[in-house]
Amino acid sequence: MVGIVDYGFYLPLYRIKIAEIASVWGKKSEDIQSNLNIQEKAVAGSDEDSLTMAYEAAVMAFSQNNLAKKIQAVLFGSETPAYAVNPTSTILAEFLGIEGNYFATDLQFACKAGTGGLITSFGLIESGRVDFVLTVAADKANSKPHDALEYTTGAGAVALVVGKDDLILQLIDYQTFSSDTPDFWRRDGMRYPSHSGRFTGKPGYFKHIKSATEQLLKKTHLTPSQFKAVVFHMPNGKFPQQIALSLGFVDRQITPSLVVPYLGNSYTASALMGLMAVLDTAKPNDLILLTSYGSGAGADSFVFKVTKNINLRLKKFFSWIKRKKYINYPSYLKFTASF
Amino acid sequence: MVEIIGYHTTRFGEWWEESLFSLINQTYTGILKQTQLDKKQIDAVFFSNMLAGVLENNLHLTAKLAELLGNNIPIFRIESACASGGVAFFLAFNYLKANPNKTVLVIGAEKMTDFSPEQTTTALISAASGEEQEAGLSFPGLYAMLAQVYLQKYQATEEDLAYVAYKNHYHGSLNDKAHFQKKVSLSNILNSAYIAYPLKVFDCAPISDGACALLLTNKKNTYQLPAVRVLASEVATDTISLTKRQRLDEIKATKIAAEKAFRAALLSRKDIQLAEVHDCFTIAEILALEDLGFWPKGQGGKKARELSTLIGRGEFVVNTSGGLKAGGHPVGATGIKQLGEIYLQLTHQAQKRQLKKISYGLAHNVGGSGGTAVVTILGV
Amino acid sequence: MISPVKIWRRQKVIRASLGKKGVIVSWTKIYTPPKEFKKSAPYYVVLVKFFTGGLMVGQLVDFLAEDEVQIGKPVIAVLRKTRDLDQDGVIAYGLKFKLI
Repeated sequence: MVGIVDYGFYLPLYRIKIAEIASVWGKKSEDIQSNLNIQEKAVAGSDEDSLTMAYEAAVMAFSQNNLAKKIQAVLFGSETPAYAVNPTSTILAEFLGIEGNYFATDLQFACKAGTGGLITSFGLIESGRVDFVLTVAADKANSKPHDALEYTTGAGAVALVVGKDDLILQLIDYQTFSSDTPDFWRRDGMRYPSHSGRFTGKPGYFKHIKSATEQLLKKTHLTPSQFKAVVFHMPNGKFPQQIALSLGFVDRQITPSLVVPYLGNSYTASALMGLMAVLDTAKPNDLILLTSYGSGAGADSFVFKVTKNINLRLKKFFSWIKRKKYINYPSYLKFTASF
Repeated sequence: MVEIIGYHTTRFGEWWEESLFSLINQTYTGILKQTQLDKKQIDAVFFSNMLAGVLENNLHLTAKLAELLGNNIPIFRIESACASGGVAFFLAFNYLKANPNKTVLVIGAEKMTDFSPEQTTTALISAASGEEQEAGLSFPGLYAMLAQVYLQKYQATEEDLAYVAYKNHYHGSLNDKAHFQKKVSLSNILNSAYIAYPLKVFDCAPISDGACALLLTNKKNTYQLPAVRVLASEVATDTISLTKRQRLDEIKATKIAAEKAFRAALLSRKDIQLAEVHDCFTIAEILALEDLGFWPKGQGGKKARELSTLIGRGEFVVNTSGGLKAGGHPVGATGIKQLGEIYLQLTHQAQKRQLKKISYGLAHNVGGSGGTAVVTILGV
Repeated sequence: MISPVKIWRRQKVIRASLGKKGVIVSWTKIYTPPKEFKKSAPYYVVLVKFFTGGLMVGQLVDFLAEDEVQIGKPVIAVLRKTRDLDQDGVIAYGLKFKLI
């Protein structure tokens, strides 16, 4: 048995409305909001980065247990790590008081570095060499002013404690699909990522998520109707709904996890943030399907079963994110250090 | 018996054409000319400066001074943030107590305007602890936090603080060497922009260049010069960090130095007619007058409003030089200037701001947020 | 310029205070910052007394309205970037405070 023992998340306080950004560039905000199905997004402060957010999420993950002392591996997934060369995983471990004989590694694979960390964690645990792993996904996503991405790039972090006993989410199985597909990338030394526009849709997002998810459903002999909730990577508020329906899921299964309309896309933490939302109303024995997508490209698909322990470790995602403060565009530029 | 027998100061302000050492040269040649002494008659120099190392990468200032003075006498450099001048004087005073038949020069100088206010703010915060620096504090910020505690605890107001600035600018208008020589109205002060809430532009001493010098001697009947006796000079220290202080509504180092000085001079507070106190910020003058024992603790706001220490009002006047506020605050020079002002008053050379009756004066010089305090009492 | 070694030595000191709670004993709002803090000006700095004893200073972040910043309010110590150092230097992480 392997799965998730406890969890934590962090969203920054600040939000900017899509209408505010659109007004700066003279765009029709209603069109953008309806095309992308997004109204506002989370913005991290100028003194926050993927490390500080990861730390907060991890603190929440350890807030109801003593597992920090038992962590034997720390995995950090991000596309905006604190350094280009220098592990953020060890900085995180240091501030959490995890020292000495632990394995640490940083991962990158666009928006699926976090679930890549999860797969690696399962492997470490199932090998029997390690009892507890901390895997964190965090991003302070950036985008060039005036680029289409400006309406969706958000910030956030999710921390998962992975183990083999006393789980809240038991892993039933997982399936990965990978390829070399140049839909979104950032060259060394470049400040902002580049993308190939609509190419990221069918050949990217849809193809990979479909392949991984369908293969997993086949492997596990499960059908869409058996799932309480389904979570997909959220680059915008439309794609997840489209892929859900095309895979045979219905609205009420996808809607609870759809956080991007009010939080934006937290990249590596995006799909996992959808999972955080779903856990608020998860009941024992519920089946949850989660498929992440990372540009470049790949998709990681998981089937989880909720255990009876879920009620003991609930972190109340929806009440947490209620506390927010709206900022204007100049503040947004200040916070994202776009100058 | 140690006496001050001469004082010279440059004007404090923005000296674009002058460097640190040309300012020192000005005051050095000035004091020699004034007192008609030859440089060979100087036995040692005590030099006060805070920022030359941080701002200009200039250390070993003593050797630089030797180059300027052209002799091989002992020269000492003293740094205690804004208390550098007072401490330099204290050391010169004690040097003369230990070495008979000597005459020494105490010079204080600072060059601050070659740099942006931001660079200077950054250099000045070196006088605060590492943690205070990491929190993004500036000196206005540190004193602002002291002001908040004081205002809340003793029900004083921002307006009370403004009266301190008003008085010192009034005095500055009478001092031809002050940085600012124009009177300022209360509404100017209250409407000025915030630097660190609740302190506004007019609550803060300016960034200034300047240099000044004092001649001290223990020789008897040697010079035909107006002389003033040094009755006491005492130094006390306290924690650099505000977070380690015992109380946030007083500067303990001032209290200790003052107690020691009054005891050594065998005087009481009511014997003092003039005090030059360290008003780096308006709140600092209020705290100073309480900590020195002139005002009861917590009464400072009320007493500042009364303007009782304004020239012409009463028998006890504070900061006739304009203080740091209007006089200017070239850090290393301030402590010397305070003593120089008292010297001028005691020898009736203070011109437009001359007090009619004065027998004793007290100078109070503080380093940082209260890490060092020097209290010196002079008399005729 | 801060030495990376100094930043490294500070880590355990910072870690010891992370998550500690206390009350605001004094505060100010800085409008003219030292150069390593330019980008976040104006900002609030608070002087905090920890419930477990001792005082500390740090910036206050994530408050909803400015009038929330008052002497007596409870706060918690959080991890944030502090100084804005050179682009090619080590990142300075340190303590700031949040209202609770």
